[in-house]
Amino acid sequence: MVSGNIQNANSTFLRESTVMKIHYITGLGALFVVAVHVMMRLVVPFSTSLEYENVINNYRILWYALLLEIILVLISIHGFNGLRIMLIELRQNAMWEKFVTIFTLAAMLAVIGYGTRTIIIANGL
Amino acid sequence: MEAFRKNESENLRANREGLKGWLNPTRYGWERLSYWLMRLTGLFLLLYFVGHVYETSSLVGGIDAWNSMLALTQTPGGHLFLILVIGTSTFHSANGIRLILAETARGLGKPGRPDYPYDAVSLNNRQRSGIWIALVLAAAAMFYGGSILFGGE
Repeated sequence: MVSGNIQNANSTFLRESTVMKIHYITGLGALFVVAVHVMMRLVVPFSTSLEYENVINNYRILWYALLLEIILVLISIHGFNGLRIMLIELRQNAMWEKFVTIFTLAAMLAVIGYGTRTIIIANGL
Repeated sequence: MEAFRKNESENLRANREGLKGWLNPTRYGWERLSYWLMRLTGLFLLLYFVGHVYETSSLVGGIDAWNSMLALTQTPGGHLFLILVIGTSTFHSANGIRLILAETARGLGKPGRPDYPYDAVSLNNRQRSGIWIALVLAAAAMFYGGSILFGGE
C-alpha cells in the first residue's frame, strides 16, 4: 500500500503512454499544416493577404477549408492535452485528474465546434 | 492506519512546492529552463489559438466586423504581439522536436557506470544543443517576422 492517490491503471480511458504518442503526433502534424497556413499568407503581400475578399476566397477553396479544419482539430487536441499535463503536474489525486480531464475535453470540443462553425459558414459565403 | 494516511498526506503536502516550484527556473540547469519555457510558451500559444479562433469568427459578421477586428492587430502593439507569437511558436516547435528525439532515446548516449560526481550521461551537450538551437531559431524567426510586419509591405 503506497498511497490512495495512485489510480488503478485499468480505470483510465487511455494509457498515458498512448496519450503522449497522440500528443507528439498532433504536434508534428500541426507543425506541418500550420507551415502551409502561414505560407498562404506570404504568397501575396502580407497586408493584401488579410483583406476580407482574399480571406473569404481562401475559405471557399475546399482543400484550404479542410486544411483549416485539420489545423483546428490538431492544435485543439495538442493544446488542451498540454494544459491537462501541466495541471496534473501541479497536483495529483483521482478527483482532480478526473476534473482536469473532463474540463480540458469539454474546452477542446467547444473550441473545435466554434471554429468548425466559422469554417462552414465562411466556406458558403 | 488512518493516522498513517493523514501523516503521509501531510508529508506529501509539506514537500510539494506547487506553482512556486514549477515557475522556479534557477535550479537544474538548461533542461529546467527548457522545461519552464516549453510550458509557458505552450500556455501562451493555447491562449493565442483560442483568441485566433474567436478573432477569425468575425468573418461571418461581414467586412465591417472583420476590418474592426483586424484593426486591433494593425498597431505597433499588435505587431509586437504577433512577433511574440512567432518566437514562442518557433521555440515550442523546435524544442518539441528535441523532446520527441529524447523520448525515443536519440542523442542521449549510452548509460554508463554511476561514478562520482554522478553526472547523468543523458544530460549531455548533444541533446542540450537542441535547446540552444531552439532559442536561436526563435530569435531568427522573430527578426524575420518583425521585418515583414514592420517592413510596411
